[in-house]
Amino acid sequence: MRRVRLLLLSELRLVRTALPIHLIAVVQPCVFFLLLSMVMVKPTFDVNVVRPQSEAGHALLAAMQEVTTPDGVPYINPIIVSAEESQQAGGSVLRQRVVVEQRAGIPTAVQRFALVDSNQVKNLRNRLTAAALRLWQEAQGDRAVTVVEHPWLPRDVPSIVYFGMAMLPLTVFLAADFIGGILAAQEFEAGTIVEYRLSPTGPSWVLGARLVRLTVTALLAAGVLVVVQGWYTGYWPASAWRVGLILLPTAIVGSCVGMVTGLLLRRSIPTLAVSLLVTLGSWILGGAFGLASSFSGLYEAASRATPHSYTVDLLFGCYYGTAVGIPWVSAAVLALFSVISVALAFLAYRWRVLGRA
Amino acid sequence: MRRFWILLLTELKAWRHDPISILGGFIAPGALLLAFGLLFGGRLAFQVAVINHDSGPLGDILRQTFDEALSPFDIPYYDVPDLSEEEAWREYAAQRIDGVWVIPSDFSERLEAGHNPQLEMHFSNYNDDRAKNHRLYSAEILWRFYEQIGLPGPPLALAEEYPRPEMVHWFPLIAVGLVLFGASLGGMFNIFMLTYKEHVAKITLEFGLAPRSLAWVLLPKVLLALIMGLVTGTALLGVVWLWEGVWPGRYLWAVWLLSGLVALFWIAGALLLGLRAHHYLAGPLAAVLGGVLIFFIGGGLAPVRFQRDKVVWIAWLFPNTYAVDPLRDLVLFRTWPEDWGRTLAVLVGFAVLSLGLCLWMAARQLRRVR
Repeated sequence: MRRVRLLLLSELRLVRTALPIHLIAVVQPCVFFLLLSMVMVKPTFDVNVVRPQSEAGHALLAAMQEVTTPDGVPYINPIIVSAEESQQAGGSVLRQRVVVEQRAGIPTAVQRFALVDSNQVKNLRNRLTAAALRLWQEAQGDRAVTVVEHPWLPRDVPSIVYFGMAMLPLTVFLAADFIGGILAAQEFEAGTIVEYRLSPTGPSWVLGARLVRLTVTALLAAGVLVVVQGWYTGYWPASAWRVGLILLPTAIVGSCVGMVTGLLLRRSIPTLAVSLLVTLGSWILGGAFGLASSFSGLYEAASRATPHSYTVDLLFGCYYGTAVGIPWVSAAVLALFSVISVALAFLAYRWRVLGRA
Repeated sequence: MRRFWILLLTELKAWRHDPISILGGFIAPGALLLAFGLLFGGRLAFQVAVINHDSGPLGDILRQTFDEALSPFDIPYYDVPDLSEEEAWREYAAQRIDGVWVIPSDFSERLEAGHNPQLEMHFSNYNDDRAKNHRLYSAEILWRFYEQIGLPGPPLALAEEYPRPEMVHWFPLIAVGLVLFGASLGGMFNIFMLTYKEHVAKITLEFGLAPRSLAWVLLPKVLLALIMGLVTGTALLGVVWLWEGVWPGRYLWAVWLLSGLVALFWIAGALLLGLRAHHYLAGPLAAVLGGVLIFFIGGGLAPVRFQRDKVVWIAWLFPNTYAVDPLRDLVLFRTWPEDWGRTLAVLVGFAVLSLGLCLWMAARQLRRVR
């Protein structure tokens, strides 16, 4: 037991040799999350409307204010502009303006776009159609078709909540993979690997201590992100312990992938490059922007090759109160990922370290 | 000039020992390119099942409307897979489709009689943006449906006018921002790595003892980094061309000029960092993190021109924010940016200021070593 304690202490002391990496691995996901939350699409869109001169124009303006979520969050924020205005107060070029005019004797809401992309055009078009449809529905009276909404969840959840949740596996993987990989590579660069070669301690103890250290660091990094997300969005997981338990296999896999990369490449820069590629790739493919099940075909297949997608499926229940997929299958697959990755790390250690003793 | 050439070749030889450094500038923008390409470069239609119980003809017309109501992406808002009712609910429960529309058996009857016809729309709302799309798309479907069945026209017709005959899509817009990011990062990785290696190998001591101006030492480094940055940016541009078919053509030199000026701003900072850093890996990581940050806040996702007031103030302290829209003009539309002269002046100002300040500080530090 004393040996384990010493090994763990030695691992913890190694933090000092790569303090900036530790700091970056812990802080970077939080900064990334906060930045993306600033630029992510909000439901309310500014729509420039030329000051209405007719009854139809006033009716459209009123209808725009009624296009909302069931909770009353407006989808349109109409901004009144003059017909000649080409710039807003802040110096921005107007991206569009809606003007109501007569065309062939019919009042027509014309949306004039500046050079904006198809996604913006879609969003602006959809909003104008929704407002104009309200007027048409009123004109139809009892013939108007009502679309009765049956949303999956009791209320709409901000997109940033899913994004933040899907960043948790990224965070644990990033911390474990980066630190694990770089520390392993540095052992070769600094020549300290010789100490491991000469050590009478078995590889399982050495690897076990490093795995514990990396996993704890990774889970701490995730804990920081959970707090930042909760503070920012107001959405907290049902159980912090459960989140930790769900993230544990991904942390183990990340640690092992990092160690294997470092052991095989033995140099910091290639290890960093490979770690960056693996971390970002598995995050993007593993349900970073939507549930893996909603992407069919090749994308889903690729997604299922990463531990992230199963982790996200399990985390979903903690954040949304409803399960996706089959939880026990996800848990079993994650356990399998962990076992395989630990075995690979053990083999890589034996080959690279003990094989040359 | 011969001295400059010799030093440049020496730097190039040093780089050849670690050519992987150029990958560092490619990986982060490449991964983001892949992410945004997968997200926004594919078919952006929702998958919904339509369960039509209607005993009259209007349910079929409504079903047909799903295929005919086109979005600005030139594809329908909804893809409607051919599923039985049981399959539809099973797929929806597994979150394999985004929603289910149910047309009741009395839909046609109620519509024709004017008895408040209704439809059911079941949809996923774990993401409020997607929920918003479901609600707004349903308006597009109904609008088109009303037109199809010949109801009296709307009290207010709709029309659109665009400044150009073709529509620019979102992904190429983002991709140009990533090319700029790649050009800066490629240069930063290169100069940081070479300078750091010289710093830890104490070769900088020799620089400090040089009898001539240190500009002879520093400028070849900057030039090599600039070339590496432009190579990285051009490689990313090549990927965008293969993916989306956009290429600046005869404006390529102008793209290089703008990207190069932005890269110079960052290269100067990375040079200084390389001379001071004690941990190599912190530098590239900080460069990637900083670059991603600037990409997002500096108009990487949407044109700056249309949202100047929404750009956070700190973004105006970096040249990327000024360069990204003119680059889009050159790459996506192959036209001269209206603000070309002003942009060039601003970018030259940034580059000169950054190079002047950082090279002066770097030279001071090298001399102090002596």
